[in-house]
Amino acid sequence: MTAERKTLQAHVPGEYQPTAVMPDVRVVKIGGQSILDRGRAAVFPILDEIVEARRQGIQVVLLAGGGTRARHIYSIASELEMPTGVIATLGKYIPMQNARMLQMLLAKHGGLYILPDDFEKLPLYLQMGCIPVMSGMPPFGYWEKREEGSRIPPHRTDAGVFLSAEFLGSRRAIFIKDEDGLYTDDPKKDPTATHIPRITAQELTARGLPDVVVERVVVEYLPRAQWCKELQVINGLKPGQVLAALKGEDVGTIISA
Amino acid sequence: MSDLVGGDGRTHIHSKLMRESLQNKSVLSNTDSERDLQIFPDVTLVSIGGQSIFDRGKDAILPLVDELIELKKGNKHKIVIGVGGGTRTRHTMAIATDLGLPVGGMAQLVGAMEELNAILLNTLLAPHGSMPMQRDHFWDLPLYFAEGITPIAISVPPYHFWEPPPDEGHLPQHGSDFGLFQMAEVLGFGQIVFVKDEDGLYDKDPKKHADAKKLPDMTLEQLLAVMPEENILDQELFRAWKHAKNTKRIAIVNGLVRGELSKAVRGERAGTVVTK
Repeated sequence: MTAERKTLQAHVPGEYQPTAVMPDVRVVKIGGQSILDRGRAAVFPILDEIVEARRQGIQVVLLAGGGTRARHIYSIASELEMPTGVIATLGKYIPMQNARMLQMLLAKHGGLYILPDDFEKLPLYLQMGCIPVMSGMPPFGYWEKREEGSRIPPHRTDAGVFLSAEFLGSRRAIFIKDEDGLYTDDPKKDPTATHIPRITAQELTARGLPDVVVERVVVEYLPRAQWCKELQVINGLKPGQVLAALKGEDVGTIISA
Repeated sequence: MSDLVGGDGRTHIHSKLMRESLQNKSVLSNTDSERDLQIFPDVTLVSIGGQSIFDRGKDAILPLVDELIELKKGNKHKIVIGVGGGTRTRHTMAIATDLGLPVGGMAQLVGAMEELNAILLNTLLAPHGSMPMQRDHFWDLPLYFAEGITPIAISVPPYHFWEPPPDEGHLPQHGSDFGLFQMAEVLGFGQIVFVKDEDGLYDKDPKKHADAKKLPDMTLEQLLAVMPEENILDQELFRAWKHAKNTKRIAIVNGLVRGELSKAVRGERAGTVVTK
């Protein structure tokens, strides 16, 4: 036998008691297909409400979704049988463009484009009254796992928003989309469908819907989160919803752990 | 610009996924096929254990370095090396646990500990041709191979602050074994060789149990059916391998026995070989 392992045994950890990093921060996603691809008509009123919230002292970190350009590159890359890790890497670029667009619009109000590793600088940016803007795509890239029966990366910008909120110790992740959240059925097809103000991740999963309002991995992770126990899906096309959500009001649909 | 489609307040680009929900299962299945593009099929990834090799110091490291130099002669094998972090990684986790740091914070921290081993290894191998490879500079690989330079890759995956909440407990689920597996998988490498301090995979930890039995060569499916509770490789690697399309062969060999690594790199029987 060769030399012994030189192991470090200086410390026996106590029980795990989680520490919240920046619990007052509101982590907010602006949807790609649902908001940004609509252009000025949808984006400007939402940014006005975010600026107003920031003026009232609410700390906001903004994350951008992808949208139709992401779907376009996913479609072509899938035809070429690219591995999921390559597709996830391609998927980083569009939310980055969108984040940069938002930064240009918010610059005069303190909009600041930040990179994934810049979380460590957030205390300064937020104390200065800035609105940090970043891509919602998690940095997994080539290391994104393949899912059975799909080539599309399972962790996209919804996951990035949830995981950012979870790391920062924020109670709720806010998703600005173009619908009021969840309904008992598709309200465009069934006029009797009613709005669901609150549902648990377990109830949502039990419905076994072929389609869900946020990425499946987020619904899967929610019950085992330490901090981010709620997802709030709101309609950014309705005036006042964004500001209400940022103030902590229960608008839209809340999916809880 | 005829590809742009409007009419619902949004501007789309025409594609098969246009307007579709990427959460919809039938939409997702249309993106799949039987295979994934295999980019570098003739490459072997060699992972050198942190706790099993590097933490033993000089007596374990130098013979392995000699063997790697030997393997490099004639530039016959295309090899990428990864290293583990070992006991310093575990120590980091212990302190971080006590402090209550979030799982993403732990994931952000641990990579630094294996990087130390990567620097040690590169310092020893550089005179014979090696270079640390930047995170995902994979497209430099043909250049490395043509010049006989062995790249030393970063093992821990870049999940960082975004490490998902684990299935159980509070520690990151995506460690170095998974990170290296995923790199080999996405690039379509021919095989992975894990260099550890045991003769292969065992039904239980041979360091704790005198009656532990070494597992024979088997398929991934067979291994998953008898998966030991204590394993020298992370469970996440096997979970990912189950859904993966490219990786066909993983060998686990004893780096304390001279020649085992070379046999595995040449595709000969050594240690425990798991195939898919």
